[in-house]
Amino acid sequence: MRVKTVIGWLFLWGVLVSGALLSVLTGPGGFHLSEIGSFLYFRLPRMAIGIIAGGVLALVGCSLQGIMRNPLVDPWTLGVASGAAFGVSLAVVTGAQGSLVLPVSAITGAALAIGFVYLLAGSGINLTVTRLVLSGVIVNFFFSSVVMLMLILRRHTLGEAVYLMMGNLGVVYTAKAFWLLVGCGIVVVLGCGWLFFHSRELDIISLNEETAFSLGIDAAKMIRMTFLVGSVVVGLVVAWTGAISFVGLVVPHMVRMLFGPRHSLVLPGSFVLGAGLLLYADVLVRNLAPSGLPLSVVTALVGVPFFIYLLRKSQ
Amino acid sequence: MNAVDLQEVFFGYHQKPLLCDFRLSITAGEWLGIVGPNGAGKSTLLKLIANILQPWSGNIMIFDRNLKELSRREIARLIAYVPQESHFAFEWKVEDIVMMGRHPYLRPFVRPAPLDWKAVNEAMELTGVISYRYKGMNELSAGERQRVIIARALAQETDILLLDEATSHLDLYHRTEILRLLHKLSSRKKTVVSVVHDLNEAFSYCSRVAFMKAGSLVSCVNPEGMVDSGLIIRTFGITPVIAHHPVTGRPQFFLPGADRTTGQ
Repeated sequence: MRVKTVIGWLFLWGVLVSGALLSVLTGPGGFHLSEIGSFLYFRLPRMAIGIIAGGVLALVGCSLQGIMRNPLVDPWTLGVASGAAFGVSLAVVTGAQGSLVLPVSAITGAALAIGFVYLLAGSGINLTVTRLVLSGVIVNFFFSSVVMLMLILRRHTLGEAVYLMMGNLGVVYTAKAFWLLVGCGIVVVLGCGWLFFHSRELDIISLNEETAFSLGIDAAKMIRMTFLVGSVVVGLVVAWTGAISFVGLVVPHMVRMLFGPRHSLVLPGSFVLGAGLLLYADVLVRNLAPSGLPLSVVTALVGVPFFIYLLRKSQ
Repeated sequence: MNAVDLQEVFFGYHQKPLLCDFRLSITAGEWLGIVGPNGAGKSTLLKLIANILQPWSGNIMIFDRNLKELSRREIARLIAYVPQESHFAFEWKVEDIVMMGRHPYLRPFVRPAPLDWKAVNEAMELTGVISYRYKGMNELSAGERQRVIIARALAQETDILLLDEATSHLDLYHRTEILRLLHKLSSRKKTVVSVVHDLNEAFSYCSRVAFMKAGSLVSCVNPEGMVDSGLIIRTFGITPVIAHHPVTGRPQFFLPGADRTTGQ
């Protein structure tokens, strides 16, 4: 491994480890050794969710940028996040109770969105990247407007719904919710593993489809599967945390600056950095606004300037 | 043995047929140039041979084995394809791009073996890109980039090399360099099939030239012999001035030119 790569990895892991420590040690109530049990009970799961959510968003964002050959794509292009938001707001508006209601309705909403995207995009050989993206964007608009409509009709639930939809790592832990969470975690890890396993294919597809075909890759199938796996994985994450913006867009760029474009490095690198940065954002949110501030507010405030810098650079 | 044999191939886009009952045999070791007007189906033909597109019906035989019965990986070890033009959304290094040519031989997560590096280095040497192996693709000129793509195709170590207008966007110097390289390859028993934009280029370098129009093969000619101007008229719809290359003696074609007497 080259020196630059080693230093890059040290930096990425540094961000993640320090973020994880801060995430466990700080927050409303500080940290006391005598009550370590309860702190770990509340903060460790929160940290775990933060790591998975940040990591997954960045990793899926990176894969999508690869197959679409466009560095400005993010996981929201899939349309799945708005489906999850639809599920959440439906649950909030109807006032349904129970620890499983929110995640289950969010997962159902996400699945609905994936179904719509594939229905719209058509099937078989006609399923091209462009059609998938267009369908994702349309589904996104559709669900967003339905969510808006529901919340306006039930104005008093607006605050809670917005908070839930725009990103937070506070999950209600009950025994049932815990096992559902673990199940989602396993699927998510498998999905990320699948994407990582196909790093070389993603490298080649990021050049063009014809080249991929001529090098022995079924590019059409690979693109379809990346979209599907990405949708399922992001859907499961968004169902628990809400839509956290900018992590999936900006983090892969930072990692490419360190490692170059090779997916076998950029995918795991994005996972680590995405996880670390999201933990930092969560630490900021908890310490600055203990009463609750959506994570997207912080990630966007940091992400927008970086994004502007990238746009300037690419001109 | 024929390197490529197209037997009664039918293909088209959006239910509209383009190639109907297409037959063509390509001998192992020859350099076949394909010429014809826009929309004649030249690139489509190449993509069918490369298995990027699949025929509606009919068979494509590669060294007497049916393309349908080979896996994508096996095909990628027999046929390499150089697309018209490549864009790079990310900052790839020359060496990375050439190593992608080894994909049909690599397993996931297994690092390239010495054998792979040998193929990559040889390909870079042959194409003259080895001196900038660590440079970024976006730092290179169009000619240098095209050589890297050809190096990738060579690293694939295939018997057949397909090129879709590989020289169309290049200046005279880089064009000549690439044509020389292809000549060198074809004299090493590689079968080269190239779609060529420029008739004179095809007649100067190829060992056989196929004329295509509207999805069918008009004729195959030997570029060392005489050419009937009727063939050019039928294929391209222009009446050329035909002369012979002062060095190689092969036919060369000139545009009719504006008529001086009418001042146009």
